[in-house]
Amino acid sequence: MIEDRYVELFDVVKAYPNPFGEAIKVVDGFNLLVKQGELVSVIGHSGCGKSTVLNMIAGLIPISSGGVIVAGREVTGPGPDRAVVFQAPCLLPWLSCYGNVMLGVKQVFPDATKAERNQMVEYALCAVGLRDSMHKYPKEMSGGMQQRVGIARAIALRPKMLLLDEPFGRLDSLTRMELQDVILNILNFEKITTMMITHDPDEAVYMSDRICMMTNGPHAKVGEVMDIHFERPRDREEIMETADFYEYRRRLLQFLDDCEKEKEARKKVKAG
Amino acid sequence: MAESAKDKVKYKILKALDVSGFTAFDPVIRLIFGEEPQKQLQAIVKYLVIPFFFVLACLWIWTWMGPRHKTKSGEVPTPDIVWESAVINDTIADREEIKEQDFLLEGVEREAALAEVTKEYAVLSEEVKRLKELVATAEAEKAELEAKAIGPIQEKHDALKAEYKLAEKERDEGIAAISEEVAAGKADTASLIAAIRDDGVATDAERAELSALKSQIDEIRSQKYKPLEEARKSYDKVADAQFFMKTRLEFLDKRNLTVKLDEAQSKLDGYMTDLASAGSAKDALKIAKRAVKAEESVDRLEGQEYASAVTIYHQTKRSIFTVFVGFFMAAFVAIPVGIMCGLNKIFMACLTPIISVFKPVSPVVWLLIFQIVVGAFFPDPENHALLNFLNELPLISSLEINPALIFSACTVAMCAVWPALVNTALGVSSIDQDHINVARVLRLGFWNRLFKIVIPSALPLVFAGLRISLGVGWMVLIAAEALSSSDGLGKFVWDEYQNGSSLTFANIIMVCFVVGIIGFLLDRMMIVLQRFVSFDGGGTSV
Repeated sequence: MIEDRYVELFDVVKAYPNPFGEAIKVVDGFNLLVKQGELVSVIGHSGCGKSTVLNMIAGLIPISSGGVIVAGREVTGPGPDRAVVFQAPCLLPWLSCYGNVMLGVKQVFPDATKAERNQMVEYALCAVGLRDSMHKYPKEMSGGMQQRVGIARAIALRPKMLLLDEPFGRLDSLTRMELQDVILNILNFEKITTMMITHDPDEAVYMSDRICMMTNGPHAKVGEVMDIHFERPRDREEIMETADFYEYRRRLLQFLDDCEKEKEARKKVKAG
Repeated sequence: MAESAKDKVKYKILKALDVSGFTAFDPVIRLIFGEEPQKQLQAIVKYLVIPFFFVLACLWIWTWMGPRHKTKSGEVPTPDIVWESAVINDTIADREEIKEQDFLLEGVEREAALAEVTKEYAVLSEEVKRLKELVATAEAEKAELEAKAIGPIQEKHDALKAEYKLAEKERDEGIAAISEEVAAGKADTASLIAAIRDDGVATDAERAELSALKSQIDEIRSQKYKPLEEARKSYDKVADAQFFMKTRLEFLDKRNLTVKLDEAQSKLDGYMTDLASAGSAKDALKIAKRAVKAEESVDRLEGQEYASAVTIYHQTKRSIFTVFVGFFMAAFVAIPVGIMCGLNKIFMACLTPIISVFKPVSPVVWLLIFQIVVGAFFPDPENHALLNFLNELPLISSLEINPALIFSACTVAMCAVWPALVNTALGVSSIDQDHINVARVLRLGFWNRLFKIVIPSALPLVFAGLRISLGVGWMVLIAAEALSSSDGLGKFVWDEYQNGSSLTFANIIMVCFVVGIIGFLLDRMMIVLQRFVSFDGGGTSV
């Protein structure tokens, strides 16, 4: 039972007061169920509140009304059970890669022995392909490498849920593809329930089990949820050759297009 | 392979230059290692040779303008005079050291040194005698030359003077005659007034002529006669050395510690034997009292140290020590308080008025306040436990820590605390939101958050603040020392200003350079530290 409702977002609302004291609901009634081990992408136009939803799950910003339950527990604040990979790598520049990952491991596994911790950190760094650059400092690495450390830091915590906030948003397309595969590989082993924010339809279709399309804000909510039926592990070239891929992609773009048109219409009504 | 090892050395040197901020010498190193000589030579000309010539030009302007400005303390000293005064100060320091050694010499060594110095003294005395004669002959020559040059002018002067005296007498008589005529009503008053006026004009003209001649004579007298100058200079030098030998003789003989001790001891022994054979009770009492006094003087002598004259090196050491005491006091307060200000807005709001009001207060005011406040803690500085303890510590015992040093340091601390505090608060409060989010996701506790996230991220700004603090402290210190007569470079300058010797002005300018160079080195030191702690490889200005 809990496997099917591992993560539950129930009528989640995020409202910010405007200067006149009226509450502007950025996200209004967001409902979503995520199964255990599933990778759900959230896609939508920029500014629609995707990141707001993710930050609410992470507990980094308070929820105005409604509730988020992760693994049977309501979210009240941030915690290492929901590891976040931010858009910027957010590494601490005064620590090496190893130190950055170890910081979290030490905090989450205070009772582990030194050797155990060491193993956890090294495993996470190897999993993202940084076996040889473990002791480098962030400034000595490229953006893609830094983001790998960010991913290693998140998975080293053995989280119940992995939250990816446009993790490849600042990378060039080659690096992006590399990192998509890094994450998919890790998830093939670890089966961590994952939510990923993105605005790239290809990426969403290639990586996700389900795609949650958000309507435009304000009052953004789930517009449509699309299941992606590709087998795992996935092979990029194979998938790209299927007709399904293009169909999924077409539907996504169609939805985004419709959202945009609706927004235009609303604007016209308002202006008129 | 050898090539790469060479490169390694090169890049190590270049890195060291970069960290210490001497990047101007970068092309020199590259040239030595033969990297693109053409380009390096261009860079050397642009960034080293041209600046070097600019500095030379500045020195030349200084040399040119100095003697053209007459002041109460003589001419503005030129660079070579300033350098000379630096050399003299160095000699003074050396001699003090030798004198101290002499003072402490014992037994055979003392006798050997005494013999040697006596011999040297005799040689120097001969030399002094010879040079004195040379000076005398040069003086005579100069006098002769002067007499030759001045003679005709003097004669002319005297002749004119006599002539004018007669002329004046004549005029006076004429005026007297006219006035009588006016009284008798034979002449009109206007002619009398005119006569008096003419007399005034004539007298002025005569005086001007005479004084022109006089100043000609003075000019000739004031002209420097080179052989005499040289003779005097070499005489002064040797006489100075001779005087030094004389003092050394004193310190090896009469004023030597062991000699003095022996003397006092033998005096005491004499009293003791006298006491044993004292005839009457009255005599015994008298002798015993003397013996006690002699005993005391032996005790006092045993603890005696050489009372060294203050040298520039001693003053410099003390100033550097004082500035670091003040600086560490400031850092000790500023960093924790700054961190609290950065972390807590209420705390910041509480401190803002205090910072705003006290930050602009002049160091002079702080100095006076601390002089009174700190003075109250040391009613009897000679016997204060803390001061005695500090003065017995190794390394710093020679600095003679006294209340003056403490309140100078407090003044430095008070003025240096603000930049460090404000920068620390800024560094802590402007920590990256992303880093805070990391800490929140990891649920780091307060101390972990402080030591793993907040302090490392604020460190570059903290050190930037400390660097400013040290610079401010060093500037404040010199002023504070000058004002409070606390030993140090400030006092050295002030004493020079008060003494008014021939070297005064040169010494003051020398201290200007000493203070500047030490300040520069302190700043460089802080830059290096800053570079080491800043994770972003910190851009630091020169």
